[in-house]
Amino acid sequence: MARLIKTEKEVEGRYTETWVVVEEDALDQWPAGPGAVVGRPAPRQDGHVRARGEARYTADVRLPGMLHTALLGSPHARARVTRIDLGAAAAAPGVRAVLGPGDAPGLTAEPEYEGQPVAAVAADTEGRARAAVALIEVEWEELEPLLDPDEAVRTRSLIAEPRRHDRGDLEAGLAAADAVVEAEYRTSTVLHNPLETHQAICEWHGDSLDVYVSTQYVWGARDELAEAFDLPPDRVRAVCEFMGGGFGAKGAGGPQALLAAELARRTGRPVRCALSRREENLIGGNRNATIQRVTAAGRDDGTLTALGGEFVCSLGAGGWLPGTAGPMQMLYACDNVRTAEFGAKLNLPPMDAFRAPGFVEGTWSLECLIDKLAAALDLDPLELRKRNYAHADPMDGRPFSSKNLMECYRRAEPHWARRHEVRARSDEVWKRGMGLASQTWYGGGGPPSYAWVRLVADGGATVVTATQDIGTGTRTAMAVIAAEELGVPLDRVQVQIGDTSRGPYGIYSGGSSTLPSMGPAVRAAAADAKRQVLEIAAQRYDREQRVLAVRDGRIVASDGGSWPLEEVTGLLGDGQILGKGARGPNPAGMRVLTFGVQLAEVAVDVETGEVRVERVVAIHDVGRIINPLGARSQVEGGIIQALGHTFSEVRLDDPETGTVLTRTLDAYRVPTIADVPEIVCEFVDEPDEHLTNLGSKGLGEPPIVPTAAAIGNAIRDATGAEVTSLPVTREEILRALREARERESGRVAAPTA
Amino acid sequence: VSALGDGARALSGGTELVPLMREGLVSVEELVHVADVVPRGIDGTRVGAGTTLAELEVDPQIPDALREACRLAASPQLRAMGTIGGNLRQATRCWYWRLAFPCRLHGGDRCHARDGEHREHAIFANGFCASAHPSDPAAALLALGATVRTDRRELPVAELYRLPTEDDRDVVALEQDELILELDVPRPDASVYLKAMDRRRWAFPLVGVAAARAGADTRLALAGVAPVPWLLAGEAALEEATPLPGTAYKLELARALVRRASAAVAAR
Repeated sequence: MARLIKTEKEVEGRYTETWVVVEEDALDQWPAGPGAVVGRPAPRQDGHVRARGEARYTADVRLPGMLHTALLGSPHARARVTRIDLGAAAAAPGVRAVLGPGDAPGLTAEPEYEGQPVAAVAADTEGRARAAVALIEVEWEELEPLLDPDEAVRTRSLIAEPRRHDRGDLEAGLAAADAVVEAEYRTSTVLHNPLETHQAICEWHGDSLDVYVSTQYVWGARDELAEAFDLPPDRVRAVCEFMGGGFGAKGAGGPQALLAAELARRTGRPVRCALSRREENLIGGNRNATIQRVTAAGRDDGTLTALGGEFVCSLGAGGWLPGTAGPMQMLYACDNVRTAEFGAKLNLPPMDAFRAPGFVEGTWSLECLIDKLAAALDLDPLELRKRNYAHADPMDGRPFSSKNLMECYRRAEPHWARRHEVRARSDEVWKRGMGLASQTWYGGGGPPSYAWVRLVADGGATVVTATQDIGTGTRTAMAVIAAEELGVPLDRVQVQIGDTSRGPYGIYSGGSSTLPSMGPAVRAAAADAKRQVLEIAAQRYDREQRVLAVRDGRIVASDGGSWPLEEVTGLLGDGQILGKGARGPNPAGMRVLTFGVQLAEVAVDVETGEVRVERVVAIHDVGRIINPLGARSQVEGGIIQALGHTFSEVRLDDPETGTVLTRTLDAYRVPTIADVPEIVCEFVDEPDEHLTNLGSKGLGEPPIVPTAAAIGNAIRDATGAEVTSLPVTREEILRALREARERESGRVAAPTA
Repeated sequence: VSALGDGARALSGGTELVPLMREGLVSVEELVHVADVVPRGIDGTRVGAGTTLAELEVDPQIPDALREACRLAASPQLRAMGTIGGNLRQATRCWYWRLAFPCRLHGGDRCHARDGEHREHAIFANGFCASAHPSDPAAALLALGATVRTDRRELPVAELYRLPTEDDRDVVALEQDELILELDVPRPDASVYLKAMDRRRWAFPLVGVAAARAGADTRLALAGVAPVPWLLAGEAALEEATPLPGTAYKLELARALVRRASAAVAAR
């Protein structure tokens, strides 16, 4: 039965209180451990079609008569259009429509960052569209850009009100400490670089609009376009069959979809609007840079007495303030915590969500700082973390729905014990060491989310739901859940997703919420379909329904009777059984979080500053694991992406003009396969007994959170060097090594200092 | 060759010219595909300018320094297409130049990198223009004392390059329509190429150091430290560097790599 509840809804750490209609979640969880299908490695259902090039991504969509768009982006970080002449562009060969500032949402005459769209041209070919853009005449009044985040905070150029958290008494905590450590950590702007850039194709059919869009949220795209064009939402159909990555930056339809829709409306043709790689790395979103001035204090027995920090986030011209202080507020049981977060508004491209926004940056500073405190207190870093374990949410005392971080620590011990042997393999040049870092993040998902399961005559099942697979293996995970509940082999289940007109509402693929939101709905739908099958089987075989079950594709009775499933479904002819399911509510009054710990082994060439990560061990607690193979792939991908922001990825901006200097993939360096270390991956795999009929949490984001800090701590363990800025470039590591040598010689010279 | 010049440019592997054309940094009216007229292949010390980096990195006739420089350059895909002749003529990766800032190399009157972001830039001869020459093989060839033969002359690799000046902003001393046909790469007694980069593969050198020893004579050459491949008159010459605030670390890197390279080729 549907129930109306007021609930706290969390997306990427942002909470809002809303009314939600939820269905009761009547199913008991499966027993812990692998089932017939669930918990066993399942290769990607769409692996072959992707590898063979048969999967149709948005970038592959070509509609008859389709026009192409080119954008005129602002060449200045801050400027005003004083005159614009679109005439020559409109008259250029092949041009069908030209939009200027104010003609469509997303086009402005007062750009606040370089690349911000000012005008757009739709033409027969991409080349003709670009050539026409070059003919647009603009007179600019250039304005002084604001580029310094500290200045922005001083002058109160902020995206949002500063966010403060204050519990206990920070000063008292500092006074009670035996050691106080302080540091300033920095992180750089990094870029998502999905293989598929932001893009959309729009086509009108009378008053209805079809949108093919590379998005993490087909329903968000639908709603965004319906609102912009004043259409009933169901007049808009948003489609995303396959997706070449998003990592947080493709939250809905975006300016590409809005522009394509407006140009399609004006021309009566389908219109494609796709960012080039260079445009993507300007205006496709980014993980904001931070400056974090942080303090930790503890007693000799390891008790954390105070944590404090000021967090300045360089958000750019837009975006929102991510929870950079979240790890400091949530990871440890510490009575005295004070944080202040500032979102600097600058004339740089706006940030967007990027795989655990805020927590990646905040965990870098917190977990490096905790190791610094461990060194000051002469305590083992793992032991210090255990001694400050939070058994309930340190923010408000709420119980956790489940938390197995201590089990992660226990499993980390044999790996951590290797550090003596790792260090012993050092020589004059290559110093080796180990470091670890803990992680918390959201990932519980929530309602509403719905799924249908259709069973047809041959005993095959199709999961139908309008969620999308951002690339995490959602299709496969949904098939595993349905197969387990239906009692059929995995290869009998297909999954149909990615189309708002072909299936019920599915959640945003972000915030590690797809699996914990969609999974329980799919299971409920499969259970509903199975119930209907058994109703028919009970009549067909003259048994009581309660003695019947479906196992491995057969109807089995407790008296030993056994019949192929298709004998029952075959009775349907061309009919079908349709099971419906919905995501139930989250456990009331509980905090649902994910946890984990990672350990890194590094070798540092102390003369050249080269750092080689030799091994990363990742131990994560995300409730029940649905598909161990898919889960492992998420962990590996998260760690590899983390290696990027740890070592080589940095967006550089010209400090005078605000021009983005690193927008191509030779200048902006994502890791290559040669940079990837051995990755050892373990899961606690304990279902969260309070969370839905599955007990599963999300895993898309947790693995990227602690990697940088584990590596930074390993560098300190190997060399004594304290790296503080990401990425850890040669310049940064050589600086830290030099300072470590100076500290060391200072200590020798003045042992009392 | 008579087809070159006046807006016509030679195209071989295309790994450099095509991206420059796409960025609008080189305007070309005509492309002349020169693969059929430029020699390709290795015969003793003679190397056809059309030989790819992929071919050089595996050929036992090629001295270690050049093989390593090729192996550590770019990606397998780029090395399979890119030729050694083209590699010697590649343009700087300076982001200001690549983004068409009106900098000195583009004929303007200031070097934006000096006041701006310059972590990948020069530590030598950087007063006029702080760009860094990106070629790994060029540094190796410079240390090896290689010569190039063009369609009109022979010249040492050291004379192939020139520092940009007020009057001539080009870093290559060849005529617009001049084509490199062949290289002569002497065999040293020992040679090595060491490279520091931001990731393990597929990155231009922060600092690359080539060392080659013939008898008692050791030559050192560096990549990524000056607007041209940089011949270093011994370890002590590193102290003549004029690093910018953001490139001081490169000097530290160069010291370590020069020491290692010198030791690696020293007679035992």
